[in-house]
Amino acid sequence: MAAALVGGAVAAQAAVAPLRLCADPANLPFSSNAPEGAGSGGPGLYVEIGRAVAEALGRPMETVWSLSYFGKRNLRTTLLAGQCDFAVGLPAVPDFMGKAVIFTRPILSLGYALVVPKGRAITGLDSLKGQKVAVQFASPPQSLLATRDDITSVTVMDPDEGMRRLSDGLVDAAFVWGPSAGYVNHAKLQDKFDVIPVQAPQMQFQAAIGFAKKDSALRDAIDAVLPRLEARIRDLSAKYALAAGAPLTLAGAEPLGIVTRRAGAAIVRVPADGAWVQIVATGSDTAPIRVAANEPGATPGQSGAKKKGNAVEGKEVFNGTCAHCHGPNAVVADRKIDLRRLSHKYGDQLDEVFFTTVANGRPAKGMPAWKDVFKEQDFVNILAYLNTLQEP
Amino acid sequence: MIQRQVGRLFGVAATMLAALTLGSVVRADDAKADDPNAWPMYSRGYDNTRFSPLKQINTGNVANLKLAYSFQLGSLRSNESSPIVVGNTMYVSSSWGPKYVYAIDARTGARKWTYEPEIPDDTLQYACCDVNSRGVTYANGKIFVGRLDGKLSAVDAATGKELWTTTVVDYKQGSVITSPPLVVKNMVITGFGGGEYGARGSLQAYDVNTGKEVWKTWTVPGPGEANNDSWKGDSWQHGGAVLWLVGSYDPKTNTVLWGTSNPGPWNSAVRSTGDGDYGKLNNLYSSSTIAFDADTGKIKWWVQATPADAWDYDGVNELVLADLTISGKKTPVYMKADRNGFFYVVNRETGKIVSAEKYVPTTWASKIDVATAKPTEDPDKRPGMNHPIKGACPNLIGGKNWQPMSYNPGTGLVYIPSNNLCMDWSVSEVNYRKGVFYLGGDFPPQPGPGGYMGELMAWDPVAQKKVWGVKTDLPFNGGTLTTAGGLTFWGDLHGMFHAYDAKTGKELWKVGLGSGIGAGPISYSVDGKQYVAIVVGRTASIPAFLGDVGKKMTEATPEGGALFVFSE
Repeated sequence: MAAALVGGAVAAQAAVAPLRLCADPANLPFSSNAPEGAGSGGPGLYVEIGRAVAEALGRPMETVWSLSYFGKRNLRTTLLAGQCDFAVGLPAVPDFMGKAVIFTRPILSLGYALVVPKGRAITGLDSLKGQKVAVQFASPPQSLLATRDDITSVTVMDPDEGMRRLSDGLVDAAFVWGPSAGYVNHAKLQDKFDVIPVQAPQMQFQAAIGFAKKDSALRDAIDAVLPRLEARIRDLSAKYALAAGAPLTLAGAEPLGIVTRRAGAAIVRVPADGAWVQIVATGSDTAPIRVAANEPGATPGQSGAKKKGNAVEGKEVFNGTCAHCHGPNAVVADRKIDLRRLSHKYGDQLDEVFFTTVANGRPAKGMPAWKDVFKEQDFVNILAYLNTLQEP
Repeated sequence: MIQRQVGRLFGVAATMLAALTLGSVVRADDAKADDPNAWPMYSRGYDNTRFSPLKQINTGNVANLKLAYSFQLGSLRSNESSPIVVGNTMYVSSSWGPKYVYAIDARTGARKWTYEPEIPDDTLQYACCDVNSRGVTYANGKIFVGRLDGKLSAVDAATGKELWTTTVVDYKQGSVITSPPLVVKNMVITGFGGGEYGARGSLQAYDVNTGKEVWKTWTVPGPGEANNDSWKGDSWQHGGAVLWLVGSYDPKTNTVLWGTSNPGPWNSAVRSTGDGDYGKLNNLYSSSTIAFDADTGKIKWWVQATPADAWDYDGVNELVLADLTISGKKTPVYMKADRNGFFYVVNRETGKIVSAEKYVPTTWASKIDVATAKPTEDPDKRPGMNHPIKGACPNLIGGKNWQPMSYNPGTGLVYIPSNNLCMDWSVSEVNYRKGVFYLGGDFPPQPGPGGYMGELMAWDPVAQKKVWGVKTDLPFNGGTLTTAGGLTFWGDLHGMFHAYDAKTGKELWKVGLGSGIGAGPISYSVDGKQYVAIVVGRTASIPAFLGDVGKKMTEATPEGGALFVFSE
């Protein structure tokens, strides 16, 4: 409520001033200044999110176009030079541009994806042995495949070129930026391919709306309306086929077991009621599934009296979310992420390590922070479930 | 002695050209390059010495230098141009494209014409290192202009009318042209930038009269070419090794010498082994000096300074040609103050290294083997994907960057605008490119030993030692000019323009010009009067790479864009 008042104040101060969005004029699925209409593909996810935000604040929106070939440099001469007010889809890291840019809470999870012919079983990088894989120049997938002598990297300059080569049969797979791949696959290639997000270090990122440091009042106002835009952002993400499928964990050399996936689905994190939920959007044919929601700001495992866990409920949450990386029923071949070995590894410290890790994640190793996604009771239930599985 | 040295280089050129019967070769009497009064190309001659044989302004009277005139370039930020002077006309380019090329009366600054190429307004997006123009080249009644939009134009020197324009490279791949071309015989020769952004380097020669391509030589060999196997997988396709600074020419051997940039991408595991055991995966011909046959573009030999580079030790720095007496023997050499911290003296007829010694604090390697050119690396200082490092010196702007050094045959010294910076390096900085997120290098700079960050250095290239130096608080200061009047001129990032006794380093004159200086000064004479000219206007993009150091660089002065000309 307080935040809503701030939003109202900002709107009143600048009753006629449009909210100016910084966007790239030729960068679908994110933004495009091509005339809107059938076949244009536009105006793009970030423009539509920008419009939704402006509408929620009761302000008109204008778009300030500038090319983002060099992301930070572009921001220096646009957002930070006062040419525009906000930019959608920036990497939400606190020291991005030395604190000169401030962010809303994350609105999207974005990352790299493996793109393969539909229905092909992919269990990990080993499934690509002896094959040609398109990777973008200077991207994390290029660096990752550089460590594999048994996979042939084919360097491309952007995700579109990777998808083109895949579609032309010049490569067996593409390992490129998921949102771009999902969009091209859906808009231009009739969903011919499976787009499988990967979970591995440096492959998944949180994206938010960014502002110049001085615009914290605007940032707060937008943060306050984001919960209301949850469904809208989810639908827009599905409209632009942002990414698809359950994430595939790339770890170790051993196969990870076949991962089931649904083509055309998107995993998007959106705010709800000031807190965070994990949404699995499954495309236009299925209603979005809300996985979980919690109270804002709760820190798991730190609220005095110890809560009692329900292992059955814990199992359900585990297999709905954690199993994407840690395996159904926690059965996984890679020892590093085998949660049946927690007791071996951490002994008396198991509870403490568990709560710290699920709350804050291990971003460098690909484990997301879940504290804004689940309720504390969910964590307690998951721990209760994991305790039933520990190897002697 | 001094005149003879200059006269030798150009005398040979003139003889050779006279022997040719091509319809419209560059006529020596056009450029009057052996005319001591002229400054017809970037560093005055093909030898890139930036040495003026004029001595009307000398150690005895330089204190009386006064402003002759000033001229506004009409374009702010990153003005790095060396003006050129032919007869009584000066040609000077501004930044941003160039936005303008002006022909002015070299005595008064009165404008004769303005050439305004049609530069698209999105070029800044693709210029890695700012919207520079380092100047234009004169030959055969024409002015040749390399452009940010990847084009090369020829302009009538008398009228400013555009004669032809040809596309050298697609600037939208991140490749821009920022340096003046080299004109040899009937060819205008240029490279381009973009080593970090997926370009594959090439040097390209065009007919001076038509702009038609004469030859093109890739500086990253393709399949079937020698040394393609120095690249892992398909990495040669985007291997960098671009030629974005200026070339030199040795008429005696008909050889074009040019430095190449670092390889791409930054992660050396993609193109090599990712560590110091690179074996034959040394990424030729990146971070190298290449000798090209001027007529065919064929590569004669090369010297690679930084094999399988992992520090961004770009190898483009200019090659200064001179005949040095080494062990009692007159030796034709090129000299190069490499970004990697070593000063190379190399026989320019054989490609054999005479000596290579540290000229700034350097930690990544202890020495260079003169027989093989191979550096002895410190494995703790080679950054990699999972190998962050601390205290690698020089930092990525190098012991010297593009700002030109000069060589005075009278003192036998080279005047180097050097940097004293070190860096840590880790892979941690999240960035994005057209919506695609990635992790890039984070490389916070620190002042090197001693705490200063720049030094104008007088270097003895035979003894490989410093003779005198002037330390400054900021890095990335301007280029130098040296004269037969026993002077060395140099501007700094505080906008101060100085004259020193070339032998002793004693400051004899200085003046504040209001914006940071990156360009190199020039000197010329018209109607018996000697002038010294300098362009000012500080850089904006490079400081953005340098964190707090960069902040100091931009806070030192406002942006600017002006030419100042001094005389007695």
